[in-house]
Amino acid sequence: MPDLRPIPTSAVPAAPAGWRRAMHALLAMAALAAGLAAAQGLPPAPAPGGLSLPGLAAAGGSRVVSPTVVESPQARAELLVHAPSGARPGARVQAGLQISHAPEWHTYWKNAGDSGLPTELQWSLPPGVSASPIDWPTPRKFPIGNLANYGYDGTVLLPVTLTIGPEFQGDAIDIGLQASWLVCRRECIPEEGRFQLRLPVDGSAAGAGAAFDAARQARPADRPAGSSQLQPDDTALKVVLDGLPPSLRGQRLEFFPETPGVIEPGAAWTQAWDGERWTASIPLSPHRSDSPAEMALVVAQADAPGKGPGLPGVRMEVPVQGSWPAPAPLPAAVSPALQAALDANAARAAAATASPASNLTFGAALLGALIGGLILNLMPCVFPVLAIKVMGFTRPGTGASGHRAQGLAYTAGVVLSFLALGALLLTLRAAGEQLGWGFQLQSPAVVASLAVLFTLIGLNLAGLFEFGSVLPSSVASLQARHPTGDAFLTGVLATAVASPCTAPFMGASLGLAIALPAWQALTIFAVLGLGMALPYLAASWAPALARALPRPGPWMERFRQFMAFPMFATVVWLLWVLGQQTGIDGAAALLMLLVVLALLVWTLKLQGRSRLVLGGLSLAGLLWLGVSVGPGVVRPVDDAPAAGVAQAGGWEAWTPELQAQRLAEGRPVFVDFTAAWCVTCQFNKRTTLADASLLADMAGKNMALMRADWTRRDPAVTQALAGLGRNGVPVYAIYKNGQAPVVLSEVLSVEEVRAALAPL
Amino acid sequence: MQRRPFLIAGALAPLAPLAPLAGLVPLSAHAAATVGQPAPDFTLMDTAGKPVKLSDFKGRPVVLEWTNPGCPFVKKQYQGNMQSLQKDAASKNIAWLAINSTAESSPDHLTPARLGQWMAEQKAAPTATLMDESGKTGEAYAARVTPHMYIVNAQGVLVYAGGIDSIASARVEDIAKAVPYIQQAMAEIAAGKPLSQTTTRPYGCTIKYKGSAA
Repeated sequence: MPDLRPIPTSAVPAAPAGWRRAMHALLAMAALAAGLAAAQGLPPAPAPGGLSLPGLAAAGGSRVVSPTVVESPQARAELLVHAPSGARPGARVQAGLQISHAPEWHTYWKNAGDSGLPTELQWSLPPGVSASPIDWPTPRKFPIGNLANYGYDGTVLLPVTLTIGPEFQGDAIDIGLQASWLVCRRECIPEEGRFQLRLPVDGSAAGAGAAFDAARQARPADRPAGSSQLQPDDTALKVVLDGLPPSLRGQRLEFFPETPGVIEPGAAWTQAWDGERWTASIPLSPHRSDSPAEMALVVAQADAPGKGPGLPGVRMEVPVQGSWPAPAPLPAAVSPALQAALDANAARAAAATASPASNLTFGAALLGALIGGLILNLMPCVFPVLAIKVMGFTRPGTGASGHRAQGLAYTAGVVLSFLALGALLLTLRAAGEQLGWGFQLQSPAVVASLAVLFTLIGLNLAGLFEFGSVLPSSVASLQARHPTGDAFLTGVLATAVASPCTAPFMGASLGLAIALPAWQALTIFAVLGLGMALPYLAASWAPALARALPRPGPWMERFRQFMAFPMFATVVWLLWVLGQQTGIDGAAALLMLLVVLALLVWTLKLQGRSRLVLGGLSLAGLLWLGVSVGPGVVRPVDDAPAAGVAQAGGWEAWTPELQAQRLAEGRPVFVDFTAAWCVTCQFNKRTTLADASLLADMAGKNMALMRADWTRRDPAVTQALAGLGRNGVPVYAIYKNGQAPVVLSEVLSVEEVRAALAPL
Repeated sequence: MQRRPFLIAGALAPLAPLAPLAGLVPLSAHAAATVGQPAPDFTLMDTAGKPVKLSDFKGRPVVLEWTNPGCPFVKKQYQGNMQSLQKDAASKNIAWLAINSTAESSPDHLTPARLGQWMAEQKAAPTATLMDESGKTGEAYAARVTPHMYIVNAQGVLVYAGGIDSIASARVEDIAKAVPYIQQAMAEIAAGKPLSQTTTRPYGCTIKYKGSAA
């Protein structure tokens, strides 16, 4: 697009005023003629993308009407100047571009929104004269479906202030302006224009006074931020503005950020007035590239009537509190050749893990499940339940048949619960959920509920309260009359509590089970339950055992109270798991709730008025705590360490990308798949994996040590476990480039790890 | 032996396994593709009526170019720059999909034949030119303007979303002065280096999605 150079000031000889005016008129007429002549050669419809026009500068179908006016079917742009007291050195004058849009067309604000371009003004001024940036009037919002733009329709003047410095010499200022604007309806046409105006220093140019007044009124009023603030969270920007003028209070406002690309202009957002304070929640842009520490913004009344600029608003520069959500880390870049090698290795590994699974025959898996179930009885969560049940055999009045019935009922309870859990796991896996065995304990709500349950059981065992005083007598007698039903439910309870403790032999069985057809998988789960119920079943069927137990006496009470302590120990463990998930605050909140719960339960033992008063008070306290700190108990805290940051002992937080990176470096990788609620994992972590000589051996092989934390259901970890043929923790795997991963056993010993290190 | 508490406790126990169900309800709300996450797969028809899937190109990086011949910013790029980027991609074994999400009701709409003809006239060289008249794929990527550029790496993860270069204007001469984001990104991918720019501001004409006509 050829531009015509402006007529240089020096080429125009100084002439008396009258001559000057005649000269201007002649030039204007010549320009008009040239423009019209060029217009004859124009194609019928204005073609977007620019035309090459001989004659004066214009683009996009615009034509030059005069040195100060460029017009197109969409918009008429005119250069205006307001200098009522002349333009002497030291003075300030106003200049600006006035755009009059055709109906339905608009141009853009400083931040155009989802698309579009702001109008640009480039001034050519003589030395000593400078132009300020555009003093933008308050914009309007133009929504288009899910997107929105900010700009103006009707007629708008974009003013700047020209400052004439003391060093300016001459008797007239030649103001040149190169402007470009994008005018859009649904389609967009970029337009440009070159404007010229000669402003005599001594004269007075006041014709456009009204337009400049209107523009000044339309600009947003500057206000200090005061206590206003912006706070980004994961998906939205929370806005709190204080100190807005009374004229805006109670009105529905529109929000115009000056920084583009931070919020989603077209998304639905919420706003509210809270007395004098205005709050809003505005969705962040998914492709946000800026994280500013402060944002300049304009708010104005929404849905301004008419055309032109919006209703005058308020401009503030508001600081941003907190930090912007971090973008998801990108996968480490690997060259295509290396990636091909890694893919081939992964394919080989997948083929390799398929074979060990098939080596484990169904019968062997069942045997493993049985033994695993037996060992579950020794876990501190299950042991008290079992012990108390066995103690029940000493109760007089229950014959051998009664014992057997209870034994069968307990077994039924356990086996059916395992089947139910297995069925649930299979159904959810089929529905696509990323789950593994022990998934119940990945939810803080479940952990908290179990902690409450165990506390209540422990308090009951310790003798703080008796169920007889809590329940109506009808229910209590029901319990006495149906010991079999009671035994069944005990079995269910034992299962719920035992399932997360993955014992040895169970890992491979369960991993295999998930991959098998449903009936085989469920059989494995049932046998697991059978294994767990076996000790009690055996005890109930052997009358010799009942006879071998000592006769009832005070020792029973002591034993019962003693059993409270493993229960409380389990509560401590659950609190530790909860602490990993919701932080120390969540765990402390739960502890407080438990204390008040214990108080409430104790008051139920009292009689009369003290029971009423203290019971009522503790109930009220419990409810208040539940509302005030309750949510903190189940809110997960995201404090996962950043990938690559070395933790104590040289362990790094595992991510698939980091593992690929370490493998690409040629180092073998040892991955410890662990979870806070997995007792076996914690045991291994503190014994074998903390062994100094073993760690030295690993360092000698330049082994990268990584910990994959599954406490919070990380889907990447679930996938990696599935790749190894497992769906529970602990899993210990050694990866090396070019070899299939080696999976070690769940109860890790130093010798086993050393043996696995040797061939590396 | 005192009454055992297990009746009540046992009654509560079956509920424990069910509790995590509440947390497991998969969120059905679909969020737009974000850089660092797997790029959403799609199946669209090309201008000859053949279906093309993003997953067809797994193993190669893919550049997605949202285009609309009626837009002056697209025309600016098709004065030679876009075509040379497309050829550069082909030489690096990077697939290039040009996608048009203009709704049928928009005056800018081109029939598949007409769009294919325009691409041929411009001597454009994408791997495929795809029609997304329903706008679903555009919305899955939160594409707002034309041209809006995305790059998916060989493993299917979205690694770039944003503009084609750094100067938002409709002037062809600004292309040479701007930072060429896509050219840079393709060179970095071919060299196995991490991308220096992953999110930039796109500029252009609004995509005329279905239902957005005033």
